[in-house]
Amino acid sequence: MTRLQLDLTVPLDRYTLAVRWETQATFLGIFGPSGAGKTTILEAIAGLRRGASGMIRVADRLCLDSAAGVSLPPEERGIGYVPQEGLLFPHRDLLGNVLAGQRRAEDSGRRLDPEKVLRVLELGGLEHRTVETLSGGERQRVALARALCSGPRILLLDEPLAGLDLPLRRRILPFLLRVREEFALPTILVSHDPTEVRILSDEILVLAEGRSVACGPPERIFSDPRVFPMARDEGFENALRGQVTDEQDGMTRVALSSECHVHLRGEGLAPDRTVLVGVRAEDLILAIAPPHGLSAQNVLPGVIREVAEPPGTAGVDSGVPVMVELAGSGQVVLASITPRSRRELGLRPGLEVHVVFKAQACRVLAAL
Amino acid sequence: MSPGPLLPLLLSLKVAAGATAIILPPGVALGWLLARRAVRGRSVLETLTALPLILPSTAIGYLLLRLLSRDGLLGERTLGFDPGLLLTWKAAAAASAIMALPLVARTARLAFERVDPRLEALARTLGLGPWSAFFGVTLPLARPGLLAAAILGFGRALGEFGATVIVAGNIPGRTQTLALAIFSDMQIGHDREAMVLVGITTALAFAAIWCVEALLRPGRRSSR
Repeated sequence: MTRLQLDLTVPLDRYTLAVRWETQATFLGIFGPSGAGKTTILEAIAGLRRGASGMIRVADRLCLDSAAGVSLPPEERGIGYVPQEGLLFPHRDLLGNVLAGQRRAEDSGRRLDPEKVLRVLELGGLEHRTVETLSGGERQRVALARALCSGPRILLLDEPLAGLDLPLRRRILPFLLRVREEFALPTILVSHDPTEVRILSDEILVLAEGRSVACGPPERIFSDPRVFPMARDEGFENALRGQVTDEQDGMTRVALSSECHVHLRGEGLAPDRTVLVGVRAEDLILAIAPPHGLSAQNVLPGVIREVAEPPGTAGVDSGVPVMVELAGSGQVVLASITPRSRRELGLRPGLEVHVVFKAQACRVLAAL
Repeated sequence: MSPGPLLPLLLSLKVAAGATAIILPPGVALGWLLARRAVRGRSVLETLTALPLILPSTAIGYLLLRLLSRDGLLGERTLGFDPGLLLTWKAAAAASAIMALPLVARTARLAFERVDPRLEALARTLGLGPWSAFFGVTLPLARPGLLAAAILGFGRALGEFGATVIVAGNIPGRTQTLALAIFSDMQIGHDREAMVLVGITTALAFAAIWCVEALLRPGRRSSR
């Protein structure tokens, strides 16, 4: 089933946004630097953008078709919109906010149990708190709960983690993953943070200056030579999923598979917890022979799957992405390698390599 | 003989309440329009709304008198019946209402401008129609400011003199409000009585402005 069909034109101050996207994936991500037009796309889908023309179809509902003169008002589009600022209603308490769209939820037959939503988002017990007494992270979750409880066909998340500091992001990210698993609601997530989009999406559209640059699944999209530099500038991190096994000498050990482990600085995490470990592409070293006598704690065997061609102006850019599939877990990482190293080592798809990185280069992105 | 302060006071309250009731709906609508809609002829509308601030109140009173007189657009000859407003408290209320319009509309506009329009837009995405979103979100959030608009309108109506005296006269017990009673007492040299009336109006005005300031204080809950 086609989840989303977009053929959208929106005139903006600096450029005209023009995007076509048709996809069957459930969890969609839009990645791009700020000012690329990401929020505009969400607002157009929600029906809050005057001047948007073209076609928008969400699931089987035609929301906009300028040629046929169709433009549904926002209340008939079945959207659950979570704007970046949350925009909670200041005159209602937490529960009043969460139930604001209850009427549609009941009429549409897509009602989620508000109690369950509050429990999943760990907002139980705060029902009668006023908006001004809520913390930043709580407000984000209330905005999310309000959208979930309005019976939407699709959830629109605008930078759900932007503006939150690292500890808070770590706390909210698991909620987003949990919502994804518990409610399986089609979602479009917009973010300038490539790591976040990667973790939360099945298919990603990359946007720059109002144009689509590339589109594809998260494992492949960031190794695209047009996308990689953008992602790296926005702080791209590889996200490795694993279970905490133990903690020794102040180091946490995370198992990606039975024979493949990552070591990082102690985080005081309980064994068996699933975590996402982040490590930047620039912090990965590739070795074509098994390295010895290194202080680096992480040496993971793998196979190169993809090596991007260096950009036309050779030597100007600092690194090209090399995609390595790790042995055992099958997870892929991107390493940023200079064109010269790529040439000297003869890096090519199919080559067996070791991925080397320091324990200090890793951090826990989220404990689930 | 002056009728004492009670009757003019009650009459003033009645006239001001009537004026507020008359002008609040159009004043609030006008405030909303100016705050939220890019209407054509907006600056003309803004200017017209502000006009009673500058015009002599006698000019407004005279226009109203012409309007309501036998041959006027709202007079007996055009309507086919006598609306019977002239020289009654109702005419005083109508005159005061017009004089209160600028304050009411401007304060209402301010009240709506203080509500983030994106909140109403967000309510629409939750399935609320335009009216539900307005009554469920914008109106409650603008309420303190709208209340201030009503109080200011009421206060302005209490002080109305020029237009009232033209359309309603100065009939003790019927149309003689506080403002008119002060004038009468002063003319016949009842200085003590006039001072009492001045004291009462000052107290009322003080209370009204006190409430308005409290309602419009920036620290109050608003959405921006």
